[in-house]
Amino acid sequence: MKKLTLLSIALVAGIGAAILIIGCVTSKTVTAKSGMQLWGENCIRCHNAPSSGDYSNAQWETIGMHMKLRANLTDVETNKIVEFLKSSN
Amino acid sequence: MKPKKLLVIVPLLLAFSMVYGQDSTQTETNMKLLSGVPGNTKLLLTGVAWFGFQAILNDKVKTDVTMNFNSYGFSPMFLWKLSDKLFFESEIEINNGAIELEFAKLSCVLNRYMTIGAGRMLTPFGAYGERWEPVHIERFPNAHLRPDDNLLPDDTHLYWGAIMGVDIRGCLPLGSSKLNYALYVSNGPLLSKDENGHPTGVIQYENLLDENNNNKEVGGRIGLLPFSNSSLEIGFSAKHGIAGDRGDSVYGKIGATAYAVDLSYVKSIDAIKSTINFRGQFNTVMVDKANYYLTDSTTYTFDNNMQNYFVQFSIRPSMVRSKFLKKTELLFRYNSLTSPKDALWGAKDKNGKGGTITRMDLGLCYWLSWKTGLRLAYETTAMPDGTHKNEFLASLVYGF
Repeated sequence: MKKLTLLSIALVAGIGAAILIIGCVTSKTVTAKSGMQLWGENCIRCHNAPSSGDYSNAQWETIGMHMKLRANLTDVETNKIVEFLKSSN
Repeated sequence: MKPKKLLVIVPLLLAFSMVYGQDSTQTETNMKLLSGVPGNTKLLLTGVAWFGFQAILNDKVKTDVTMNFNSYGFSPMFLWKLSDKLFFESEIEINNGAIELEFAKLSCVLNRYMTIGAGRMLTPFGAYGERWEPVHIERFPNAHLRPDDNLLPDDTHLYWGAIMGVDIRGCLPLGSSKLNYALYVSNGPLLSKDENGHPTGVIQYENLLDENNNNKEVGGRIGLLPFSNSSLEIGFSAKHGIAGDRGDSVYGKIGATAYAVDLSYVKSIDAIKSTINFRGQFNTVMVDKANYYLTDSTTYTFDNNMQNYFVQFSIRPSMVRSKFLKKTELLFRYNSLTSPKDALWGAKDKNGKGGTITRMDLGLCYWLSWKTGLRLAYETTAMPDGTHKNEFLASLVYGF
């Protein structure tokens, strides 16, 4: 239990320190990424990347929220990817 | 403007306004009606089905080849975006005729960095259970070597099943890197018992209603993606819970602690016109030491620690011209499972001590669509007692 407590404290402290130091700022490189780039980079982390025609625009919004939660995508990533897939439909 | 023209234009404008007004009202009415029609709501039914074949080439008992169609299943998933902040997701799995609710979870977005969820959910412990286990994501016809009931007693130390509880999760951008987290509190595990009611040291994690004690399990996973292209992710997980029964003076405080490290690296490389995918996970489960009963009512104790890991590599020439080759993925996986050395249960070596089971898997996946494919594998399992089991597996997985 002591090990777990220490590990938990270390993780929380690490996250807190990282947030304080960098302040949840996204770099220019990441900010400049298009929805297509983010789609190509993030979907294949776990599964093949689906094409836009696999689902309707309304369905992409639902899938976007599912993947934001399951794969822990950021808000910006999710929105850009969903907009890219909808605009390609 | 001449009065004659006004006499024409004004009635026309009035008529147009009336028609437009009626049309707008009608459109609004239609929109309201349509919003209640299925298909216009943000409910999505998706999922996967599968069918499998197994040929056992030799094992401890059978020296002849045995072949059978050994698995079938259907797993519909319901995704429902209730609003921009509320989301419900659920999956039912029908595996070889057994029906089970995999998860049913309601989530609420608190802010851009945090979502809270509640219900029956997949354990955020390691990357495998939440992300790589779904049949359409797993490239092999079967899962990696794991502490399931073919190798250890039922659900022994199976660390990634479903939990009942609450979690918070999110992702924090850190410059060009990202850090994601999922932390949870759930009903705790159970120290299982033999037919005489004596605890055995086996931990059952899918103790969903947790009627044996009031202690809760706490745990979670932190994932770090150091590169801006998200190609590499390293995850660290931990969890702890009390498994003994409430009021039990001997076993009531027996706790189980588990740690996991997972890693994935996925990259499309132009030079070799291929996408490479490397993933792996190491897990260890440690149970507090206690005295357990033998059949003659004497007691014994043992170091109740289990280790399990797998590493997997695949390559898919996704950028070549050949339509056949670009749909083909070659796979390699190495698995290891070490059960407690002195436990009564688990795989044993020739001296009756617990040992390590290893398995080497070679496979091929032919993708028909992004979530439909044919999987083939040849697997060799080496048991601690020196015996081997070779098998050929095939499965057809079709996503919808």
